Amino acid sequence: MKAYRSMVLVTNDPGSMLAGAQDVYNALQQEIKSFGLEDEISLSTVSDVGRHDAVPMVIVYPEAVIYGPVTSKDVPFLVEEHLYKGRIATALQAPARELSGRIAWLRNRKGSLPAEQRIVLERAGLIDPDSIDDYLMHDGYIALGKALTEMTPADVIAEIEKSGLRGRGGAGFPSGSKWKFVAKTQSSKKYVICNADESEPGTFKDRLILEGDPFSIIEAMTIAGYVVGADEGIIYVRGEYTLAQDRLKSAIQQARTYGLLGDKLFGTDFSFNISVHAGAGAYICGEETALIESIEGKRGEPRARPPYPTTHGLWGKPTLVNNVETLANVPAILRNGASWFRKFGTPSSPGTKVYTIMGNVNVTGLIEVPMGITLREVVNIYAQGMKPGSTFKLAQTGGSSGSIIPATLQDTPMDFDSFGKTGVSLGSGALLICDEETCVVDLAKVLLNFFRKESCGKCNPCRIGNQRAFEILTNISEGTGQLKDLDDLNMLAENLFQLSNCGLGQTAGTPLRDTLKYFRAEVEAHIRLKVCPAGVCPMSGKKY
Amino acid sequence: MTTVTIDGKVIEVPEGTTVLRAAQTAGISIPTLCDHKELSPYGGCRLCLVEVEGARTLQPSCTLPVSNNMVVRTDTEKVREARKFVLTLIFSERNHFCMYCQVSGGDCELQNAAYREEMTHWPLQPNWQPYAVDASHPYFVLDNNRCILCRRCVRACSELVGNHTLGFEERGARSFLVADLGLPLGESTCISCGTCLQVCPTGALIDRQSAYRGKETQVEDHMTICAGCSVGCGMNVLTRDNRMVRLEGDWEAPVNGGLLCEIGRFEQQNDARERILTPLVRKDGSLKAATWDEALNVISSRMRPLAGIENSGIAALASTRLPVEALSAFKQIFADKMRSDMVTSIEEGIYTAASSTLANEYGHPFEGKLSDLATADLVVLFDADMTRLHEVASFFVKRNLQAGTNLVVVGREAGELDRWGIPVKATRGSDADVLAAIAAARAGAALESYETQIGVPAGKLALVGELLRDAKNAVIVYGKGMDKTTLQTLVEFAAANSAKVLGLKGAANSFTGALLGLEKPFNVNGHQAVYLALGDDEPSQRLAQKVANAPFLAVQASYASQLTAQADVVLPVQMWAEQEGHYINLDGHIQAAKQSLTPADDVRSNAAALEALAASLGVDVSPDWREQICQRVPSAALEG
Repeated sequence: MKAYRSMVLVTNDPGSMLAGAQDVYNALQQEIKSFGLEDEISLSTVSDVGRHDAVPMVIVYPEAVIYGPVTSKDVPFLVEEHLYKGRIATALQAPARELSGRIAWLRNRKGSLPAEQRIVLERAGLIDPDSIDDYLMHDGYIALGKALTEMTPADVIAEIEKSGLRGRGGAGFPSGSKWKFVAKTQSSKKYVICNADESEPGTFKDRLILEGDPFSIIEAMTIAGYVVGADEGIIYVRGEYTLAQDRLKSAIQQARTYGLLGDKLFGTDFSFNISVHAGAGAYICGEETALIESIEGKRGEPRARPPYPTTHGLWGKPTLVNNVETLANVPAILRNGASWFRKFGTPSSPGTKVYTIMGNVNVTGLIEVPMGITLREVVNIYAQGMKPGSTFKLAQTGGSSGSIIPATLQDTPMDFDSFGKTGVSLGSGALLICDEETCVVDLAKVLLNFFRKESCGKCNPCRIGNQRAFEILTNISEGTGQLKDLDDLNMLAENLFQLSNCGLGQTAGTPLRDTLKYFRAEVEAHIRLKVCPAGVCPMSGKKY
Repeated sequence: MTTVTIDGKVIEVPEGTTVLRAAQTAGISIPTLCDHKELSPYGGCRLCLVEVEGARTLQPSCTLPVSNNMVVRTDTEKVREARKFVLTLIFSERNHFCMYCQVSGGDCELQNAAYREEMTHWPLQPNWQPYAVDASHPYFVLDNNRCILCRRCVRACSELVGNHTLGFEERGARSFLVADLGLPLGESTCISCGTCLQVCPTGALIDRQSAYRGKETQVEDHMTICAGCSVGCGMNVLTRDNRMVRLEGDWEAPVNGGLLCEIGRFEQQNDARERILTPLVRKDGSLKAATWDEALNVISSRMRPLAGIENSGIAALASTRLPVEALSAFKQIFADKMRSDMVTSIEEGIYTAASSTLANEYGHPFEGKLSDLATADLVVLFDADMTRLHEVASFFVKRNLQAGTNLVVVGREAGELDRWGIPVKATRGSDADVLAAIAAARAGAALESYETQIGVPAGKLALVGELLRDAKNAVIVYGKGMDKTTLQTLVEFAAANSAKVLGLKGAANSFTGALLGLEKPFNVNGHQAVYLALGDDEPSQRLAQKVANAPFLAVQASYASQLTAQADVVLPVQMWAEQEGHYINLDGHIQAAKQSLTPADDVRSNAAALEALAASLGVDVSPDWREQICQRVPSAALEG
């Protein structure tokens, strides 16, 4: 491996590419060459580092200086100043506010503050995601080698169980148990599926992992295949994630070339292959059984359970379906041990969680923090507080199937169990932070509008119930609601949970339930006073 | 066995049984809508939800398999509330105003379910989206406004028929039933088998013929056998005031399990031909009404002197649509008693002559059963066109294709089934050459010479050979017009590959015709009198020409035709739905057809007409038809 004096990274997430990252990259390449520095400076691309206000960005290590937004015209100056003369080109630096905030981890990787703790996003933003060499340099494939050469499948399961890793797709099912179920089902053919159909509104954590560190998923799936006895893996990627698909395909190709995917890995009898399957834009295909139906070429409708995919999955064979974030934890756990993993998070929910922060806060974007930190900490530390003049009203978690967290629950630790006790759900890790300008009726309406369109239409409660609930909310928002509507909404929410076939329908009523639980007065104002306190709803209907 | 407690009753059921079926065996009724016993469980309507001890939410009993010591309650307050809620949602989704619907008042499963839950109204404000009614199909109408989206029709179309025409468009609240990718039904790939009609629980799919013509309580059921072809489907003839209202497949029937084809369900119901209701005798050049005695006397006085005369005696021809009883009497009268040398069937043995000769040479049956198609991993159709006749048999093949069964369609002409499988269309050479090419492909031999011989690319032959090598349960189906030597080669080739052989045969009693030896090529050539037991068959132009110059022609027929117009005597007989009798289907099931309609006074059954003729001729015929059909070795084992 060649050693370099400096490493220059150019962001090439979709936003950067639109802003001309390719030109910047080309200019850098040319300029570095013209200074004769190509043997001293390595140049590569890097995925989304979590900020989009100063794209395209150029990051220079080891100083970890972030320049942005950079145009190709800035490049000669940048190269001359920083790379040739060794002076930081302060005029081109990205705004300092950002530096002290989210991106600070880049500089303070060895420090303790701020508390962002990266496990799954460890390499995202640091390595060239298109280079297996980069991945190997950063501890890549140590875990697979260890699993294949030093551990039995049972050992790996024991380690995962000991780590307490729980599924990061939303339900929080213990991953070790799931692996065990698939491993112990007898079958000559098994599958490992990576669920990368990330479709929850406002959630983009999986995309960052796939775009920034695709090899970690490839490695984790290979480990999973070894453990459960599968020889085939499928990554079901959301159709819109074209960059992630390209990265994955390239990663699979490189892993094959390096003999890290294919037949007889590490000299053992274990063989494993992975293919990429693109989704076609259906939210419901993120539900694991609908995802399986979709791979089989059928209409994406969730199956009845039991039987579960662990025994009757793809093509009726035992199938392990894991979320991207869940899988991304696996190599780190095997490399560092379960007790290391347990150092992060809470006893019942060890490890970290990736959150995507949106809404009326100063800093939006993506963070990876230990499980169990509170919403207040997220808002105040990572999001740098609410925007000037706005007050925290509520947060909506986990995309649409998450729940509404009112201000009163701001100090509840965000982990599976603490949240479960208070009746809210962690969901997929999206945090939509809303201020007083947000109307809860409008918010619920937006969410229900999403569900009524994205329900697969298979079971009556979800297909019709969401539609009725949306209509009732529309009436309320137009000032034509009645108090009886609130009982109907409560009934719909309860019945959606009780009667629906899959997770979508079962959780679709949560916004209704939470709205009425925490903000009933505001909803009643729409009905009794024909007023929307936040001034959002049209209230255009006939007032009677 | 698994033990489950449902509403306090302890029930033992086989492992894997669903809670719903377990409850049904214990006599506990759970309301359902999307469930249908012939279709895979779906779990869409959620009406069958029950309380299961230890479960977080209510569970759909139709999809939930029982587990040991499961405790289920089907009639709690919570369950009843859930049912009402589900029904409320369904009623609020589309225009389910019962009073305008033809199934209202007993035939609608949605309405019945609501009555059962004692619903008087639905408490949610509806917001129907109107759908255009699709009346483009000749036999039925699709009204999406009445649809409850239970997918029974979709599952029937794919799981039972294998045609995959029906499906769903859009998602969520916008989902609706479509044919193909949104074509009007009448222009779609629908093959008009009508299975969807039969499973629809509401008035969303309406039979044009029977709509508003009688509810289930007003019609009579008659379980019988379809006389459309040799498949021998069990069906229910629904009648009202002695008129046919509708034909439905019999779910319990051993051969078809509830399926019918376009001919069986729709075409034979719409017979527009003119009935013959009284015996007719030609007097002074025109046919005049007569009594049975008069008519029979004319025939017998003409025929009695011709008994036993070769080449210039009696020629007799029967339709293979007649029941066994009639064919047996026919054969006894003309072949045994009148010793005629030209006693045959309308099919003249083109479907069966080779197979019955071969069976008699072997001394044992060599054909398999239709049920073999269910387990086949490879089906080879050898000149066997299933698309017009025998269509239900094609469903048995098509519905398994998705599960991995391979289909090879060998023939000369393009057929409807070509697109479902691998067409192997010979442009040159004989059947024997084609068979030799396939055998060579199976053996892995060089195929270039065969390519020139029969005009099928060597690559395609090689593929067929590979499929044959891989197949563990292959079935080879052959059609008509095969000579004995080629068939023997085919049968021996099949045996060498442990494949089953199935002969499609022709009309409903084609097999009986073969068993009675009615397989000769027919011609009148000098015969003095011709007797045609036509029944309700539609005579061909060719047949009419053949008998045109017969000195004397007697016809027993249900309908007026060119033949009856040519006849000297016409005897009126019952059509298929009016008579009782037995049919032997293509794989040897002996099945009884029942009387569904009461015939007109002067119209006799085909068997009775022939018995009357025997009496008039003064010959004895034995009513024991089973003895008659035992005289030759059947090509497929008989059962029933």
